[in-house]
Amino acid sequence: MFRLLLRTAHAARKSSFSVYESCLATSKCDKNAAQHFRVANGGGARALSTTSARHCEKKDEPALSQDEEKINEAKDADPTEKSTLVIHKTENNKLTEQSEQPEGLKTDEGGAMQTGVGVEEVVAATKQVETETKAEKNGKESLIDLLGAMKVDVTTKKKRNLKPKRIISGSAPRPNPADMESTISMFQKATMEAASQSETLDPNLVAAASAAASTLPNRNQAQSELLRQLRENEATTQAQKKGDINHLGMLIADMKVGKHYRRQNSRPSNQIRFDEDGKGYTEERRERGVSAELDGVRRRDLFSGRRLNIFSTASDEGTVETAVAQPTLWDIDFANQLSLSTNQLPRNGLEEVIQWTKEGKIWQYPINNEAGLEEEAQVMFHEHIFLDQHLEEGFPRQGPVRHFMELVVAGLSRNPYLTVQQKKEHISWFRDYFHQKQEILKEADVYISEA
Amino acid sequence: MAAPCRQVGHQIQRKSRFLLNNFEQLWSHRTFGWTSALQQQAANTCKVAEPTETIVIPKKKTWSKVAVLEALAATVSRDPTAHPYQFQDDPYLTPRTASEFRLYSLSQESGRSAAKYFVNSNPKFFTKDFAEPHIPCLMPETVSLCLEETSEEALKERIKLRKVKAAVDMYDQLLQAGTSVTMETTHDLLDLICLYCDQDPVDDQETQTEDIEGAAEEVTKIKGRVRRATDLLRSTWKENNNAERIFNLLPERDTRCYSALIRGMVKHGAFARAFSVYTDMLNDRLTADVHIFNALISAAPEIKDKYHERWDVITDLLKQMSQQKVPPNLLTFNRILKALRRCGSLARAHSLYTLSEMKALGIAPSLASYYHVMSIACHGASSQATNDIFQVIMTTLEGTSFTCQDPDDSLFFVSAMRICFDLKDLQMAFKVHSLLEVGENWRFLRDSYQHNLYYGRFFNLLCLMEHIDTVLEWHRRLSPSLYYPNSQNLSSILQALDTDCRLDLLPAVWKDIYTLGHDNKADLVEELLALMARDTHSPEVQESFAECALDVKNVIDRVGRRPSLEWNPASLSHITTLLLRAGKIQQAWEMLQLFKSNNRVPAQGLLEEFLSVCHSKGSTQMAVELVQTSATFCLSATSTLAKRTLAEFDLTEEQRATLSDLESAGESFE
Repeated sequence: MFRLLLRTAHAARKSSFSVYESCLATSKCDKNAAQHFRVANGGGARALSTTSARHCEKKDEPALSQDEEKINEAKDADPTEKSTLVIHKTENNKLTEQSEQPEGLKTDEGGAMQTGVGVEEVVAATKQVETETKAEKNGKESLIDLLGAMKVDVTTKKKRNLKPKRIISGSAPRPNPADMESTISMFQKATMEAASQSETLDPNLVAAASAAASTLPNRNQAQSELLRQLRENEATTQAQKKGDINHLGMLIADMKVGKHYRRQNSRPSNQIRFDEDGKGYTEERRERGVSAELDGVRRRDLFSGRRLNIFSTASDEGTVETAVAQPTLWDIDFANQLSLSTNQLPRNGLEEVIQWTKEGKIWQYPINNEAGLEEEAQVMFHEHIFLDQHLEEGFPRQGPVRHFMELVVAGLSRNPYLTVQQKKEHISWFRDYFHQKQEILKEADVYISEA
Repeated sequence: MAAPCRQVGHQIQRKSRFLLNNFEQLWSHRTFGWTSALQQQAANTCKVAEPTETIVIPKKKTWSKVAVLEALAATVSRDPTAHPYQFQDDPYLTPRTASEFRLYSLSQESGRSAAKYFVNSNPKFFTKDFAEPHIPCLMPETVSLCLEETSEEALKERIKLRKVKAAVDMYDQLLQAGTSVTMETTHDLLDLICLYCDQDPVDDQETQTEDIEGAAEEVTKIKGRVRRATDLLRSTWKENNNAERIFNLLPERDTRCYSALIRGMVKHGAFARAFSVYTDMLNDRLTADVHIFNALISAAPEIKDKYHERWDVITDLLKQMSQQKVPPNLLTFNRILKALRRCGSLARAHSLYTLSEMKALGIAPSLASYYHVMSIACHGASSQATNDIFQVIMTTLEGTSFTCQDPDDSLFFVSAMRICFDLKDLQMAFKVHSLLEVGENWRFLRDSYQHNLYYGRFFNLLCLMEHIDTVLEWHRRLSPSLYYPNSQNLSSILQALDTDCRLDLLPAVWKDIYTLGHDNKADLVEELLALMARDTHSPEVQESFAECALDVKNVIDRVGRRPSLEWNPASLSHITTLLLRAGKIQQAWEMLQLFKSNNRVPAQGLLEEFLSVCHSKGSTQMAVELVQTSATFCLSATSTLAKRTLAEFDLTEEQRATLSDLESAGESFE
C-alpha cells in the first residue's frame, strides 16, 4: 500500500502506471477497462474498483462513506485507510491539476479545499490526509515523518468524525473481509529475505518503507513485504515499458489481493453456445489433453512458435531461379487450374470491360488513336512528308518527268493511308517504269540519268 | 493582354464610383468579364513577389491498361436487388431458382463453347479481319495439323496442339530416320506425354471453358466420386508407357526430364514408381528441382501407411532439398500441410512448425495454407482448440486481399464458414464474411455451388443466433442476388420467426418460398402451414394468413399431380382452420370437400371449430350440411355435432328431423 501511495504521484500523469497499480491493488480490476482505474486506482476498497472514474466522482459521497465505514470496521487496517486517502488525492489531482507541481504543497491544499471533491462532510476528514498524500510526492524524506504521523491522525479523526455518518450504499459491493485481510497480510507476512533484497532498491525508498512498517504492529514482516512489493513494482514497470502485459497476470497472482480472475477464454462470455449437433462442446476434460499443444498458439502470433529448422533462412544464393524463357506445359496447366479455382465471372459492366480489355477485344485506356500502330510509330512524320529526297537519283533534274514526279510526291506526302515503305515502293515503281521507257523518252529528248 | 487592359481601363473609368465603393465585393465576384483580367494581373504580381521555389516534377507513372477501369469498377457496389450480372442481357431468362441458375449458366457457357468450336473447326468461313488493330482472340485458332512432313518443326507443332499420340509417332519417325531431336523439344514432348499420361486430352478446350461454370457444379452434385473414378480410368500411369520408353531411349537425361517423369507419375497415381525414379536420378548425380520435391511431398502419404513414417519421408525430402540448395516455394509448404492432414495426430504440432518455417523463410502463406492448418486443427479437436487457432488465423488475415496462388485457395472460405457454423460462432462468421468482402477475395467462391454452400451456412447461423430483424435484413441482402436459399435455409427462417414470435411475417416467407421454387417441398410447406395454424392471431394477421393459405391451396392443387406434394390431412386441416379463423366460411367449406375427394378424414376439433364459426356467422344451412358431411365420414363426433347444432342453432323442422336422424345414427354407430 505504501508503494501505492508513492506511485500514485506518477499515476496522475501516467495512466499506464495507474492501470498497473490498480491492478495490483485489486485484482478485480482486471475485468474492467484500463481507463476506469485512473481515479479509482487507490481503491484498496473494492467498492470503487468496479465503478468507473466518473461514477466515482459523482457518487463519491456514498463511496467515501463506504470507505470510512470500512475503516471503522477494520480499525487497524491502516493500509486501507491510506488507500482511501489516495482516492481523495487523485480526485483532487484531477480537479485542480496539482500533480504537476508537487512542491506547491500549500497551494495544493488550498485548492483542494476550495474546489473540493464535492463532499463537504469528507473534506474535513480528508484535509489532514491531503497534506500527507501530497507530501508523498514531495520526496521520500518527508514521507518518513508523515507516514509516522499519519496513522494516528487518520484513524482518530476518521473515527471521531465519520462514525455518525455511516451510509452504506447499496449499489456498491460490500467490502470483502478477505480482501482486507490479504492487504493486511501483505504487511504482516514474514519475509526475512527483505533485508538482503533491499540493496537493489533506492535507500530512500527502503527508509520510507521501514518507516511505514513501523506504524504497523509487526514491523519486520511489514517492511520486508513492502520492499518485496517495491521490487516487483520495479520489475513490472520495466516489463510494462516493454509492453509485456503477460507478466501482470503473474504478479497479480503473487499479490494475493482479493480474488484472482484469469480469463482463459477470449470469447465473449455472454456468447451463447449451442450444443445441438453434439460436435464439440461435450466436455472440458478432453480439451485439456488435446489442446495442450495448441496452448502455444493462444494469445500469440501464429508464426512465433518453433519451426522445422530444415531450411536456412539466409538462402539467398538459391534465388538464382532458372529464369525459364517460356513457361512449360506444366506451368500453363497450373495457371489453368488456378483460373478454374477462382470465380472469373464479372460482377458488373466495368468488370466485363476489364475482361474484354485483357482479352484484347476492345480499346485500352487511356484511349490512344494510334493503338495497334506500334510499327508506324517508329517512323517519323518527315519521312512521310518530305519525299523529294527519293527523287534525287534515277530521275532527271528538270523536264516533264521531273515535273510529273514532283506532283506524284506531293500527292504521296498528303496520303495518310500508305506506309512509308509503300510510298517508296510507289516512287521506285515510277523509276523503273521511266527507265524501261528510256528509249521512247530519248526520242522525245528527255534524259533521265544525266543532269 | 492589350485588349483586356484597355477594356479594364474603360470599365474603370465608367464605373469608378461603383468600383471604389464595391471593389472588395467585385473582387470576389467573377460576374464581369474584366474581373478575370484583373485577377490575372493580380496573379502576375503575385508571381513576381513570390520567391522562386524549386519545382519537383513528379515521375511519370505508367498505368496499367485496366487501371482506370478497375478504379471505376471499384465504385460500383453490389445491388442486392439485382440478379447476377451474367443474366442481365436477357431479363426474360432471369433465373429465379438455383436449378434455373444452373441451367441458364450452363447453356450460356455451352453456347459460347459451341460458337468457338464452330469458328475453330471452320476457319475457312472466318477469314475476314475487320478489326484494326487486329484482335487475335476473335479469329479462329488453328486446331488442326498443317505440317505433314517428318521434321522437328512438325513435332513442335504437334506438341503445341497437344496431340499426344501424333507427337509420339512423329518422334519415333524422326528417330527411325536418324534425325536427332533437340533437347528442348524432347523436354516439351516429355512434358506433354507426362501431363496427359500418354493419352490425347479429351477435347481439351471445350471442357476447360465449360468447367468454369458447369463442370464444377456437376462434379459436386455427384459428390465427386464419379469424377475421380473417371480420372483414374482415364489416366493411370502404365508401366513402360511412351513417356518411360522415350525417357529410357534418351542418350542423356537432365533434371527436367526426370522432373517431367516424376510429376507425371505423381499426377497419375504411380507414387512408388515416382520415388524409384527419384532414386535413379540421385544415382545419376543430378540435383532435383523444386517441382520434383513438391510432387514427391504430395505423394508421401500414399506410399507409407503409418503416420510417423509419412512424416519421416517428408522430413527426409525436405532435408534433401536443403542439402541440394533447392529453395522451397509456397507450393512446397502447401503440399506439406496438405500431406500433414493425412498424418493424424502428428499433424497438429507439425503444421504450426511448418507455418513458422514459412515465416522464417519469408514465404507468405496463401489461403490454402491457412485452410490446411484449419482443417488439421479442427480434425478431432475440441471446440476450444479449434476456436483458438481459428481466432488466431482470422485475426492474422483480417483485411487482407489475396490473389489465388494455389488451387486449394478457393476452399478456404467455404471451410471457414463451416467451422463457424460448427462452433456456432456468429462473430467469427461476420469476420469471415468481412474478409470475403475485402478486395478481390470474392473470387475465391468459385461457382454457384460454393456460393450456396457458403451463404447457406452463413444464413443458417444467422437464423440460429441473430434477432429476426437482422436475419431478414441479411436475407434481403443475400437472396437471390448472391445465392438461392435451399429449403433448409427457409426452414431456418421459419424457426427463427417462431423463436422471435414474429409469425405475422410468415406470408412474406411464403412468397419467398414460392419465388424460389421451393413450393413443391412438402415438409417445408407443411411446416409453414403448421406454424400459421398453431396460434390464433389478430384479425388482420389472420386475414393475411388466410390469403396465404389460399395461395398454398392453389399451388398444391396445381402441382398435386407430382408425387412430391399432395394433400395430407395435416395440411388440409391447417388450411381449413386458417380460413375459418379469417371467417372465409365458403372457402373453408370447399376445403372440407377436398377431404372427401382426397380420401382424408377431418379431425373432430376441426369440425367443432367449423360449427362454432357457423354459429357465429349464423349460417344454419351450413351447419346442417357440416353434420351431414361428418356423417358421411362416419365420424364418431357426428352425434356430438348434431346435438350441438340442435341446441345452438335456430332450425327449421326439416333440418331438425335430419339432425335427429344423424344424431341417433351417430350414437348407434358408436
